[in-house]
Amino acid sequence: MKRKHKADLVILFATLGLMALGLIVIYAIGPMRANVLNSTYGANYDSNYFFWGQLRSVGLALLAFFAAFKWIPYKYIKKFAKPIMIIALVLSGLLWLLSLVGASLVKCELGECRWFELGGFSFQPAEFLKLALVIYLADFLARKKEEGKIGDPREFWLPLLVVCGISLFLVVIAQGDLGTGVALIAIILGMLLVSGVPAKQYLIMLTIIIVGAVGAVAFSGHRMERVDAWLTTLTGGESSDSTYHVDNAMLAIGVGGLFGVGIGNSVQATGYLPESINDSVFAVMGETFGFVGLFLVIAVFAVLLMRMLKVAEHTSGDEERLLIIGIFSWTLAQVVVNIMAMTSLVPVTGITLPLLSYGGTSMIFIAFALGLVLQLSCYTSREVNTKNENISSRRGQRGSHYASRRRSS
Amino acid sequence: MPRNSQQKPETITDSPRRRIKILHSVVLVALGIILVRLFIIQIFEHNDWVAKANEQHTLLETITAKRGEIYMIDHGEPVAVVLNQTTYQLVIDPAVTKKEDVEKVINDYAKDYVAADLNEVYNTENLRYSIVAKNIPRDVAQKIADSETPAIWLKKTNQRVYPEGQLASGLLGFVNNDGVGQYGAEGSFNKQLAGEDGLVKATADVNKVALSIGNDNVKIPAKDGENIVLSVDRSLEQGVEELAMNAINSTAATNASVLVMDPNTGEVITMANLPNYDPANYDKVTDAAAFVNYTTEVPYEPASICKSFTFSAAINEGKMTADTTYFNEHYTTVDGWKIENAEQRGILYGTINMKTALYWSLNTGSIQALRLLGDNPNQITQQGRERLYDYYYNKFRLGQATGIELIEAEGFIPDPNEGWGRDSTYANMTFGQNLGITMIQTASAFSAVVNGGTWHTPTIVKGVLKNGEIVKDSASENSAISDQILSEETSAAMRDMLIYNRGYKVTGGIDRPGYDIGGKSGTAQVVVNGAYDDTFAQLVGSYIGFVGPSGELPKYVIMVKMWGEGASIGSGDAMDLFDKLSNYLIDYQKIKPRI
Repeated sequence: MKRKHKADLVILFATLGLMALGLIVIYAIGPMRANVLNSTYGANYDSNYFFWGQLRSVGLALLAFFAAFKWIPYKYIKKFAKPIMIIALVLSGLLWLLSLVGASLVKCELGECRWFELGGFSFQPAEFLKLALVIYLADFLARKKEEGKIGDPREFWLPLLVVCGISLFLVVIAQGDLGTGVALIAIILGMLLVSGVPAKQYLIMLTIIIVGAVGAVAFSGHRMERVDAWLTTLTGGESSDSTYHVDNAMLAIGVGGLFGVGIGNSVQATGYLPESINDSVFAVMGETFGFVGLFLVIAVFAVLLMRMLKVAEHTSGDEERLLIIGIFSWTLAQVVVNIMAMTSLVPVTGITLPLLSYGGTSMIFIAFALGLVLQLSCYTSREVNTKNENISSRRGQRGSHYASRRRSS
Repeated sequence: MPRNSQQKPETITDSPRRRIKILHSVVLVALGIILVRLFIIQIFEHNDWVAKANEQHTLLETITAKRGEIYMIDHGEPVAVVLNQTTYQLVIDPAVTKKEDVEKVINDYAKDYVAADLNEVYNTENLRYSIVAKNIPRDVAQKIADSETPAIWLKKTNQRVYPEGQLASGLLGFVNNDGVGQYGAEGSFNKQLAGEDGLVKATADVNKVALSIGNDNVKIPAKDGENIVLSVDRSLEQGVEELAMNAINSTAATNASVLVMDPNTGEVITMANLPNYDPANYDKVTDAAAFVNYTTEVPYEPASICKSFTFSAAINEGKMTADTTYFNEHYTTVDGWKIENAEQRGILYGTINMKTALYWSLNTGSIQALRLLGDNPNQITQQGRERLYDYYYNKFRLGQATGIELIEAEGFIPDPNEGWGRDSTYANMTFGQNLGITMIQTASAFSAVVNGGTWHTPTIVKGVLKNGEIVKDSASENSAISDQILSEETSAAMRDMLIYNRGYKVTGGIDRPGYDIGGKSGTAQVVVNGAYDDTFAQLVGSYIGFVGPSGELPKYVIMVKMWGEGASIGSGDAMDLFDKLSNYLIDYQKIKPRI
């Protein structure tokens, strides 16, 4: 372990900034959401219900963030990688079994049972599973690398296939959560890439995953519908019920124009845009803050992701690096797939925008994961925090990369 | 920093740093694609999306103003004769709605309101909208809604209801399917009755609830229409219509119009056009002529009734009196035209006075009055024509709109100095031919003849009903004219002669003693192919008269017109109806005799 130095402040402030922005947006559109639910479904939400909910989530997420950053050293966590994974799988499995018998502990929405609910608190085990998989794979892959077994069919691929297969089954099939499935696959792909799986094997695996995904979509009517809807929207065809979500997301973003309509003036959030506070929050932000606002939001995510890669690059241990890459892949997948769905670049999968979407569990776990990255940023071989590195001077950044590669070869 | 890779030699492609580089590219490419996409949506396509958003977010709704109701007067109190009622239409889409479903709903609830033949509806190709039942009351509509039959719709409509049935339909008019008043009071007062629809234009949420977001939100409240109180007496109207209908049934006439007005104020208390139609089912009327209000909208030739106007003019100008005499040869020649009297009995040949000429309605008498008006007993002069024109057009306001609140025709009075055969034209005018005037013009002029000489603008509106009070319309009140056009003496002399006309009615026991009842008949030839039809195959009978206690100014003027396609209706039929009406009026209004 390297000597401890200052944490990566860019990651710290990007995380805190995104949380604050999420809070502001929910504050602005939460009352509209409450109103829609009240008038359409006869619910009785207080107009500030969602703001308080988000505030509570942010509070818990901050707690998780700083816990991971300061109080729980990764070296302890990695010792429990296997048990953590087992607990995560058991929780998801339990949820599935309980949903099959229709236990009251399980909360279902729109026919998908993804939450435990107890005493007003709900918990989504799939979010925990993402974190657990990252921790487990980091441990597993680093171990296999040390053993020189990377790429070995029996020692490497078989256990990997079993663990990932069970995880994906529980999330995608049992819980019907394609969004989390996409995040899991991204985590697996990202971590395997950096673990040093031979290029040929990696490409074969990639091909199998793509073929499998296409096949799964084609054989599931519900998902084919989404793809259909997506293709319709992408090609500017007639809108129908199934294209409604994307149509209205694009409408919100398009209305925003350059500078947006301003906070509190979003009309799309008054019920036209489904999931306005969760999965569609990016579209509402597009309407509210315009292209300039979205550009800044994307820039912040870009900085966050690039800093994570930077930290990974400068981390000495394989396990630590793989952990960071796992968290990076998780974040990247959620950001890219969420935004691309909102702009009709990919079909809608139902995935939250990290730190911005309403929803407690997802924010707490991603915050915990980012806290871990921050913790690890204190132990890089060189302090990453050089002055000229930010998104606005990519040229300089790239330059340093070339230099380092040359030195390494 | 590169120590790691040096410790464990790896191929270049497998090195973590190399692979992290790939992830760098993934981030940049993915976010780059997203930014380009956002730029396209937010900058290039911005206006399209805004237009789409406006379409989706803008709530544009008309707040329908409540149409005003129409009242008549009964025993001094306003009573509604046209009301509003909310009813429902049963609408189906034959392409979607199951026929057996509709049949069941209709059989269970809406049997009495069927508006279309289902077999026909379902056999019509490409029909996507059909009103299969209408005028469904609220409670029945509720039952239909509760039946939760799929793919049927109930459309709310505002419907006019006529508690008095067909009463005064020609006066009241109707409201068409577009909610626009047609004919009669509904047409005349459409703007006032309709009020002004309000408008809501707002940015609305998905449930169509207006939001405070947006700058061009507009809310204009609806201005409900005014409730109009007609001066027509409901019960009197009923009684008059009944008598007029009896008259139609007992003569060759197919139509009758009756006006009853107060000559001292111009207020119309009865306006009947028989036969009535059912305004609730106006769409079943095949001939639009049934909708016409003949009292105001149709100019005609009231014929000899006009002799009272010619006589009034000559007397008022001091050119003659009731006792002025002339030599009656049963005819006279004007412009080479021989104009004959209808009455040719021998005892009238020779020197007779004007009172006698009016009694027997001699054309030679009224032509003589015109000659005298022109200061030449032997010949019609320009001055005579001009004076008659002045009286007819300027003073009696014949051939001009009277100013009554209803839609009315102007009619025409020939110019005294233009055209060919002016003298014969004017000779004809003295006994009510060669001109076109409406009943309301005639009755208003006649009112001036008998009321002491003042022409009043006729009116049929008491005011508008606001909070149970009748509020007079100041605008129409200010435009009302009261113009002394004849001297009281002239009027008195005319009354005498008109009462004298009906002397035999008193002795015949028709006119009761203690009342002054005077009148004048008129039988008009009908113009066929531009010339008067001398075969008298079709005639229009008219009668106008007044009623009041003896020695007092008349209380009411009654005018009757009866006609029928191809029917020869003499003034006798009209006079018979007048006789009944004058007696009915005396009883109804409890006019006390003065003996």
